[in-house]
Amino acid sequence: MSVDAVMEFRRRDAGDKLTGRTRYTIDRGAPGMLHAAVLRAQVASGRLAKLDTSKAAALPGVRAIATAADAPGRVGIGIADHSLFVVDRVRYVGEPLAAVAADTPEQAQAALEAIKVEIAPLPAILIMQDALAPGAPLIHPEWEDYKILLEGGARAGNVAWEATAVRGDVDAAFARPDVRIVESTFRVGRQNHMAFEPRAAVARYEEGRFHIETSTQVPWTVRNATAGFLGVPASQVRVTVPPVGGAFGLKFDVAIEPFAALLAKLSGRAVRLVNSREEEMLTCLFRENAEIRIRSAVTPAGEIAGREAVVLMDCGAYGGEQIFLTTMTAHTLGGNYRVGASRLVSRAVYTNTAPNGAFRACNGVYNTFALERHTDEIAAALGMDPLEFRRRNVLGDGDLGATGQKFEAEVLRPMLERMEALRAAAPPRRQDDERLYGRATTVGTWFVFTGPSAATVNMNADGSATLVTSGVEIGSGSMMQGLPQIVAATLGIQPEDVMVRQADTDAAGYDVGVGGGRQTVSLGAASLQAAQEVRGKLLAVAAQMLDALPDDLVMQNGRIEIAGPNGAGFSIAEVAAQAQALVGPVAGTGASTRKGVPSMPGCAVGHFIDALDIPVFAVHDCEVAVDPETGHVEVLAYRVVQDVGRALNRSAIGGQIQGGVVQGLGYALHEEVSIDADGRIRQNGFETYRVPLAADVVPVEVELYEGAPSLGPFGIKGAGEVPILNVGASVACAVANATGARVQELPLTPPRVLALLLGRQPELDFPHISPRWDDNLLRPHDQPT
Amino acid sequence: MPIEMTVNGEARRSAADPMTPLIDVLRDEFHLTGAKPVCREGFCGACTVLVDGEPLVACLTPAALVEGREIRTVEGLSAGGRLNPLQTRLVEHDAVQCGMCFPGMVVTLTHFLAQTPRPSRDQVRAALTGNACRCTGYERIVAAALDVAGV
Repeated sequence: MSVDAVMEFRRRDAGDKLTGRTRYTIDRGAPGMLHAAVLRAQVASGRLAKLDTSKAAALPGVRAIATAADAPGRVGIGIADHSLFVVDRVRYVGEPLAAVAADTPEQAQAALEAIKVEIAPLPAILIMQDALAPGAPLIHPEWEDYKILLEGGARAGNVAWEATAVRGDVDAAFARPDVRIVESTFRVGRQNHMAFEPRAAVARYEEGRFHIETSTQVPWTVRNATAGFLGVPASQVRVTVPPVGGAFGLKFDVAIEPFAALLAKLSGRAVRLVNSREEEMLTCLFRENAEIRIRSAVTPAGEIAGREAVVLMDCGAYGGEQIFLTTMTAHTLGGNYRVGASRLVSRAVYTNTAPNGAFRACNGVYNTFALERHTDEIAAALGMDPLEFRRRNVLGDGDLGATGQKFEAEVLRPMLERMEALRAAAPPRRQDDERLYGRATTVGTWFVFTGPSAATVNMNADGSATLVTSGVEIGSGSMMQGLPQIVAATLGIQPEDVMVRQADTDAAGYDVGVGGGRQTVSLGAASLQAAQEVRGKLLAVAAQMLDALPDDLVMQNGRIEIAGPNGAGFSIAEVAAQAQALVGPVAGTGASTRKGVPSMPGCAVGHFIDALDIPVFAVHDCEVAVDPETGHVEVLAYRVVQDVGRALNRSAIGGQIQGGVVQGLGYALHEEVSIDADGRIRQNGFETYRVPLAADVVPVEVELYEGAPSLGPFGIKGAGEVPILNVGASVACAVANATGARVQELPLTPPRVLALLLGRQPELDFPHISPRWDDNLLRPHDQPT
Repeated sequence: MPIEMTVNGEARRSAADPMTPLIDVLRDEFHLTGAKPVCREGFCGACTVLVDGEPLVACLTPAALVEGREIRTVEGLSAGGRLNPLQTRLVEHDAVQCGMCFPGMVVTLTHFLAQTPRPSRDQVRAALTGNACRCTGYERIVAAALDVAGV
């Protein structure tokens, strides 16, 4: 079967979004609805001595109050370390203590103020260095009692999870007489998603089940985790998802939904809960802050004989996404280049700070920054042009990744050539002023996290089709463009005639959720399979109607006809109607999951995935001007060559690249999160957390690289996740080239750049990362329990 | 005392407290949920509406201040359900992603283009200073606005 799903199809939700008609979760309600609010701890660490809700419960309008006694379960990733409310111990500023539902938002707030709370303060550990210090107080003294959900990760004390990837004899590589050792250290802060729609939910309790409408990327995670917290069967929770007003990973985990659900059950009424912007800032599941030490043994010819690295990622008070992300270091920091032997350890570390989470190209953004700056430091040490070093060393056909994965095909090298052509086509942008000019080309390795997806296609007798999945439209357009294109192309109808059902866990099968570049790939594969089943059924009926063989029929332009000039045929609507009359309505189902590319035996310990099912590569180029008086960095030009496998919708991908790069520019230059001495996030809104504005950005020059192998339907790869991947790296390398300064940290705010220029920025020193790689491990890599 | 105003050409009366932000009156009382309360501190611009023809952030505008004035929200910019030229161009440029910022963007730019029919690129960028967007990276919004102006 040959169909072409490549289209320039405009998204159907644009009109409503432009006229204010789209109803996001924050725009929804129900008759008789109550308003909820959450009481949050104001200290970073302490023992909950008293929580008295009796006075609050008696206030006018208060209909329900929920506390830890109502939510007995613990959930988590890898380990179940997270309860819905503080049970005994407060672990971060903003941690929930109780939740209230009342007739009005004002009454709910008044009730919060009437709850009596006493917390006996305990020492707070706010940075990883303190968490890892010998004899540091434990943030989870009961860590050994938590239920383990995935075996294999090393854990102890304040190390929530440790994953290692070892391939080859690294000691031997470092001991070679012909190598020199280059060592680099890096640090990055947190990044806030600043999704415009805050986390919001409207919950009901009907017929013995919870129904939660919520702004999420992961309806099935919300379903299962809500059930886990509340101690009820997951089948008692139904999750539906209206259009989501921005997510970027923020909504890749359960959030406030269980509070609303619990209060709906307790009150018997619909309950609306919407985070204030201050709550969003305080409890953002940030991109985590991280600290990285990386060493490489390189030959004079530029061969990377050996490499070792330690990556510390701050998971905040609970493990969450960072536990999974310990896996990713092997594929991000361990990506890009052919390396002889390598050993990498990633450690998720507990601190008394707000839990971190997922953010577009999780883990990859800072590891790519570290890897690319380290690569430039290697090239400088060797006296080699950094582009030439990359040309020689980027991953190519048959090269091995950090867990022993064998990469297929030459992808990065031809992408680098494309970038060189783009660079050559435009002269460097320089003005006759006192500023310092620099540019850099960097590479990045990402992947599509595939995982399970399900789809159903219902063929309607009017010739339209309905696609039913648990996919969510978060703005990327995959539910509006990619998926209807795939179904329409398979059925020979117009994409406008494919209706896409909003996610409903009662209507569609399991799905991992939208994230990691997986939605168009995984749901696309399931949707393609479902549509192919429908296609086969329709062709069989049409064959009967036409007295022909199904193989002799073509299905296109809304018709099924006998192949050849002037072939007889019927409209698809006629065939669908006939099928409905003869055998009943036509439907098809599809399912997909990851292939599960194995690692080399013994390479990966504590990992959630062994290797990459679908690698994705990116080459970025950036030109900057640095003002030596102010430290201000202006981005003058930005270019992207992105591996997309095959571009289903070039316009949609272009929009993702412009948006993703700009989000990365914010991360690289001015989006800064800091935590005060009491453990509170300082940035409490848009005024103090500076996102890029229209005047800050440049048009990104985009080239899509097609033809790299992919398991995705039609050879596609996810395109929305990766554009942010090497922006921090590119800006950092360009600023280092412009200034000659050793850039070790992001964001490159004017004060930090000025300090670099004036030599006042001290070199990073990580006493909590041992110089001997093995000494950083809780247990030796080759002795897993 | 009720607050009287004209909203999208229609006389409306609000029972809200005088200090209630206009955004809440529009959304909760009149069910005009187009304007979005995103930051509630006048920074992001997603709640921008026209008051007597001038763009204002509805989150920082107390309801009492619009007594007797004429308000136009994003819902009132597409006469007869038809997209205005800016909205049409934004669709053509495939500019929309999550969409939360667009109610404010559309109000700001529709007003700006009426005042500045032939803007430069930098003028459009400057006009968007009060309207943040987290998804798109702005470029297509700027391009669509320039397209409306035919420059």
